[in-house]
Amino acid sequence: MSLDNILTNWSRYRKGAEEGGFHEYEHQWGMVVDLNKCIGCNACSVACYAENNLPVVGEKRCGKNQAMNWLRIERYWDEPDLEPYNATPSANIDAWIEGNPPAKKAELRPSMPSSYLPGLLEEGGQSFEQRVGFNGTKGEFQDFGASFLPMMCQQCHAATCEPVCPVAATYHTPDGLNAQVYNRCIGSRYCSNNCPYRLRYFNFWSYYEDAWPEPLHMQLNPDLSVRDKGVMEKCTFCIQRIRVAKDEAKMENRKVIDGEFSTACVQTCPTGALVFGDMQNPDSQVSKLWSYHQVERGKTKQNKENKELRGYRVLEGLNTDPSVLYLERVREV
Amino acid sequence: MKYVNEKDINEEIKWAQINTDILQSLQNPRKAYWVAIAVCLAMLSCAVVAEVYQYQTGLGAADLNRPHMWGLYIATFIFWIGMSHSGTLLSAILHIIHADWRKPIYRFAEAMTTFSLMTAGFFPMIHLGRMWNLYWVIPYVSDRGIWPNFRSPLVWDAFAITTYLTSSALFLFIGMIPDLAICRDNVTGWRKKLYTVLSLGWQGTDRQWRHFRKTYMLMACFLIPLAVSVHSIVSSDFAMSIMPGWHVTSFPPYFVAGALYSGCAAIITLFILLRYFFRLEEYMTVALMEKTCKLTFAIAMVWTYLNLVEFGATWYGHDPVAKEVLISKFVGPFAPYFWAMMFFGSVLPFALAFEKLRRHMPTMMVVSILLNIGMWLERWMIVGPTLSHAYAPEAWNFLWPSIVQWAIVFGSFGWFGLLFLIFVKVFPCVSMYEVKEMVFHRRREAHAEVAEKFHRRAADVQQATGRPSVEGA
Amino acid sequence: MSGNDINRRDFLKILGWSGVGVAVAGCDRPTTVTLEEGKEEVVAYLQPEEYVIPGVGVWFASTCQQCPAGCGVHGRVREGRVLKMEGNPDSPINKGKLCQMGQAGVQGHYNPDRLKKPMLRKGGALAEVSWEEALAALEQKVGPASGLAGDRFAWFTGTVSGHQSVLLSAHLAAMGSKNHFIHETINNAVARTVNQDMLGEAMPRYDLPAAKMVLSFGADLVGTGSSPVHFSGEYAKFRTGATRGVLVQVEPKMTLTGGSADLWVAIRPGTEGVLALGIANQLLLGDELKVAGLPENLRTLITAYNLEKVAGITGVTGDRITRIAKLLKERSPSLVLAGASVEGHAHGYQSAAAIMVLNIVLGNVGKTILPSGSSAFPQMEAKAGGTRDLLALADAADKKALDVVFFHGANPVYTAPAALGLTDKLKNIPFKVVFAVHPDETAMNADLVLPILSAHEDWGTHMGVYQPEQKSISIQQPLMERLYPDTKGFGDLLLALLKARQVKEYESFADYYGYLKNAFAALPASVKGDSISDEDFWGKSLQKGVLNIGTVAGTLNPKMVEISFPEFKSDAPDYYLVPSAQLGLWDGRHANLPWLQEAPDQISKVVWNSWVEMHPATAAKLGVKEGDFVKVSSAQGAVEAQVYVYKGIHPQVIAVPMGQGHEEYGRYAKGRGVNPLKILAPVVDAKTGELALYGTRVTVAQSGRREVLVKLMGSETQLGRKMVSTVTASVFNRTEGTKNVT
Repeated sequence: MSLDNILTNWSRYRKGAEEGGFHEYEHQWGMVVDLNKCIGCNACSVACYAENNLPVVGEKRCGKNQAMNWLRIERYWDEPDLEPYNATPSANIDAWIEGNPPAKKAELRPSMPSSYLPGLLEEGGQSFEQRVGFNGTKGEFQDFGASFLPMMCQQCHAATCEPVCPVAATYHTPDGLNAQVYNRCIGSRYCSNNCPYRLRYFNFWSYYEDAWPEPLHMQLNPDLSVRDKGVMEKCTFCIQRIRVAKDEAKMENRKVIDGEFSTACVQTCPTGALVFGDMQNPDSQVSKLWSYHQVERGKTKQNKENKELRGYRVLEGLNTDPSVLYLERVREV
Repeated sequence: MKYVNEKDINEEIKWAQINTDILQSLQNPRKAYWVAIAVCLAMLSCAVVAEVYQYQTGLGAADLNRPHMWGLYIATFIFWIGMSHSGTLLSAILHIIHADWRKPIYRFAEAMTTFSLMTAGFFPMIHLGRMWNLYWVIPYVSDRGIWPNFRSPLVWDAFAITTYLTSSALFLFIGMIPDLAICRDNVTGWRKKLYTVLSLGWQGTDRQWRHFRKTYMLMACFLIPLAVSVHSIVSSDFAMSIMPGWHVTSFPPYFVAGALYSGCAAIITLFILLRYFFRLEEYMTVALMEKTCKLTFAIAMVWTYLNLVEFGATWYGHDPVAKEVLISKFVGPFAPYFWAMMFFGSVLPFALAFEKLRRHMPTMMVVSILLNIGMWLERWMIVGPTLSHAYAPEAWNFLWPSIVQWAIVFGSFGWFGLLFLIFVKVFPCVSMYEVKEMVFHRRREAHAEVAEKFHRRAADVQQATGRPSVEGA
Repeated sequence: MSGNDINRRDFLKILGWSGVGVAVAGCDRPTTVTLEEGKEEVVAYLQPEEYVIPGVGVWFASTCQQCPAGCGVHGRVREGRVLKMEGNPDSPINKGKLCQMGQAGVQGHYNPDRLKKPMLRKGGALAEVSWEEALAALEQKVGPASGLAGDRFAWFTGTVSGHQSVLLSAHLAAMGSKNHFIHETINNAVARTVNQDMLGEAMPRYDLPAAKMVLSFGADLVGTGSSPVHFSGEYAKFRTGATRGVLVQVEPKMTLTGGSADLWVAIRPGTEGVLALGIANQLLLGDELKVAGLPENLRTLITAYNLEKVAGITGVTGDRITRIAKLLKERSPSLVLAGASVEGHAHGYQSAAAIMVLNIVLGNVGKTILPSGSSAFPQMEAKAGGTRDLLALADAADKKALDVVFFHGANPVYTAPAALGLTDKLKNIPFKVVFAVHPDETAMNADLVLPILSAHEDWGTHMGVYQPEQKSISIQQPLMERLYPDTKGFGDLLLALLKARQVKEYESFADYYGYLKNAFAALPASVKGDSISDEDFWGKSLQKGVLNIGTVAGTLNPKMVEISFPEFKSDAPDYYLVPSAQLGLWDGRHANLPWLQEAPDQISKVVWNSWVEMHPATAAKLGVKEGDFVKVSSAQGAVEAQVYVYKGIHPQVIAVPMGQGHEEYGRYAKGRGVNPLKILAPVVDAKTGELALYGTRVTVAQSGRREVLVKLMGSETQLGRKMVSTVTASVFNRTEGTKNVT
């Protein structure tokens, strides 16, 4: 039976390779993040800590970048699209993958200003931290707000983390999720190295030992485990909530209703910038938003009829086919 | 060129003389030997302590972080794998093309291969978050029908390395059988028992020789493609990823070249050490040194070329992110190490181009070690910068490896040294029977009729220890 | 919005059980059936508590106590333990949403450093004592026998509302004292006064969605405003309306709200009012706007502030000013708001008034500034505080005018500037009683510390400081049984205190729970709605968590006030100190919640510590870079922290966030970072007497030390990757503005 097992798995891999992804999905959980509404307030992030038993690692380990913030809000000072001469390069990665190189002059500029060359020329002797440091806008002041970007696991359908795991501890579920099996993980950390978004977090220590001193541990959510050192973890789209909803639907012998549950971050978002749902259900809010913004799954290059629609996926050009759709930030200029 | 007609080896040397010279290397270790052993043990214990600590506290102790999920462990792993290449690969190639100058130096080179593989093997384990589950990488039939992920280069690694280890160990052993027989006949006590078992009842009969030659040649042919594939697979750990600076087409040949390079450098180092400590000037001659150096120089140039190819491809390619990584290597936090690598790897080898330097052992000693440091840095420069500067700007940072990582890397050299030291005292580090072949052939070339005379076995019996020698020409 | 339904559905499950709260309060320890390292005994579920369904989480309604906004929450309870907070969709304030502080509420409840026993000061040191002893001491000092009465007794609290407020007032009355000091460091007291004077209502309703543009002078609406979650929701509507609203933020240091601005303008602190007048000046040019009832003196004042003058004073370039004026003209109705950075100066009132003038000039009053009316129960409405009472306390203590002070919900010892010398002056108060959950600085300086129940264990009713659409009472019920047997409910203690004074009025109430039930029963039928009985009404109220008590409509009648500004002297060599407030640690009360310590500051992304924000130009002048330690010193003291450099701050401003630098307050807060409040100069707003938080001048010096600044952000810029991509509002309006996309 083990042999059949491996053979069927193998044919699945092959099918996946040939037909661009696994197909018999029960659900395809997806998300939409409207950056026009996002104010970067952190509510989603802390809600995630509360829901998913994320350990607090303390200042020292934060300093070593060993924090476990599954959902982090990235804050950037520059907004290339607002500066006309930067507009092309901001699409660089898409451009080069799509085979049409950006204009020679523009090619380097976006990655350079805050990067090393000026660091070498102007501010030599600076530490690494400053070389990649400030100067969002060209002017004297930050003339517009910051650019906040909530980043949770993008649940890619062509996930780069999946094929490289030696023990298949991370794999694609019939729910369209990119699952991480803690018990199977041996901690080779290849998946995290191969995640272009750097959204996989590793248990470098036995965080639980000092994260929940009595009686803080009583807050831990019994619906999911507390992870020990040596395993990789990441945002699961609150899979425990998904489970409950699916089970209930099954018991009541119906389909999961759109909006009957949502992930912790989506539930709490004060501005409602986050939307969660099943993309296989055409009536779900997410499906509508995806189709409205003319973004399709399984495509490297979206050919929108209306180019002005805001939908895009982060680093889409890498063809990871994420399940999270971002709606571009809007600014009055 | 005044050394142009220099001999690789003095063909007048007596066969019995060869036996005695080599066998004395197996006898009564001097103080220096024990000191060396002690040093190696000390180094090793550093690693053991560090590893125990890391095992208990977790990999945070190594100051790995997000995004630096891999660190010195993987770099050093590649380094040792690379080191393992010259020995077996060169020995096999030279064997096939009948380059007989290999004969005096291939034995310890092969030993080096085997031991550096045994060292390399530790690093993937050390670097695992949950090393106690390492065996899950092996495809064994479990009642749950759970298999490793055959798409993962790490699984390929596991196969490649184990295969390479076993076969190179075999190659080393088979090549040693006739010598083991010689040892068996020349020693007493526990060694006698040991060699009796290991020499598999070698009598030097024609039939045995015939089979021996066939097997040996077969192994050689099998090993060459294997060795090449092994390091190509190691390179695919990186080339198969999508990370900028890793996702490079030229990585497999680049890795193989680098491997041969560091291997040759290591051969030079050990060559000099053995020649000096075991007084093997007779066999490990300056002429051979020269040949090895020339070979190393050639490989160094290949490596340099492949390096430049990679830079050029990235610079003129349209991947701004990969370019960012490259630039960060040039001027970023890794810059000092990067330029050190470029100097040691591409500039320093020109020392090998000068005859005077080539023939000056102390210089070569220093140079060869520096070359290997450069090659170690190269591996680090492959792993490090890409992780610091990949796609996600949020995750841009730099974390210096902790003392734990350094200690384990340091200790790995102790482990290697220990194995090698034990080897040279237990097994002949120069192949006696092949040196005899070499001498024999050279004699024939030199003056056929004399050779004819010498070739009679009786002549030997007088001069040898009295017992009939069984080297069986 | 998705996510609300689950709560509703879960409520169906428990609809049958009226008075769930009683059961919760009555449930006993062992039912928390988890093997915590074998410390707890496992009790089989043979006879489980009526409401406990093993493995099933049940949601109970309550009220968030993390800030005065008073959001309604649902607490998820499983096996008798409260696990997670979510917004209560029935609450008109937060509509099912919650901010990070609300999420972290549970950590205040489960905090390992909570006060577990009463403490009495014996021979200089606080010692744990039994409740008997504690209450005896209390009786002896404040009981009828003590003869204490009148204004020598005082309450010092944070914002209070609901029935606690009622009882508290009753107690003050019983004591015959009028001294109720109400202190909030993060407040809008000055703006309230201005509103009261100019509109006739302290807290009018700001209709963001109706506004086509918001010009905010340092008003941190979605951050440290009077109701963060509510305004976040409003903000979303404001941004997605038929035509997307424009947000222009004018402030010395970028706040969270500023972080979302379309146009962010750095201004020299204290000159906001001038800018407002300057903008009004631009608007009135050529009398394009005919403004009824604009007094002549005001008109002359406005005309006096012409472009050059204003630009000179504020440091905002002329074209910026004209552009803002232009925007305001184009986008009517608009909404102009004044925030902490406006209020926190000696002439804060004037500036806020000038800004309100701008509103009137623009004719926003009645369009985007609406009357919020009042409730039928004024005695329950939130008593919002400020910093004036902090000064008052210090003053009274200095004059030895107080014998006994009860502290609750405020931490003056931490928030008071060193210049006030409060810690010493408090020594003049013979008996200080602190009702506290956590061992904060004030508690450690008290003579008697009474450990009270956490917000998740206690009963109560609350009204938010900002009651937008409809006035409502939010009910706070226990979400689990008390963690520590030796802690008592605040309401219960208040009741006990009252019983001691007025036996017959209050003897009928067994406890605060009984009192509340009774009070609910006494509510008018209009509030009770279709409930068939008091029990039924009580049960329904607990399940809904929010009680709509009807709104008495109000009116706004704008009137002008005298405005005069001091002479602004141009650049002094030293810097303005901005003690910035952050949605997270708030005024320092949340520094003991690890989640909020590890949640990075939204703007700088720094965690677990204090930092000093400065402009690149300033940094260059001082020769410092990110991570360098600098010493920020005022006449009143100095603090030292690491530098964070960015462009969202005025070059003459040094911003140090408040919240850190605790000397007590448990393992997560103690001895971490610095407290900028300590080095504030004792400047007050002339008109209102509020402490001028932004009125301190400081010097900055490099202290030589440097470490990597611990922040959860690598590169500050996108480096050309398409991480955040942007479109212009015109595009947005074309594609989505008019349409309603799901």
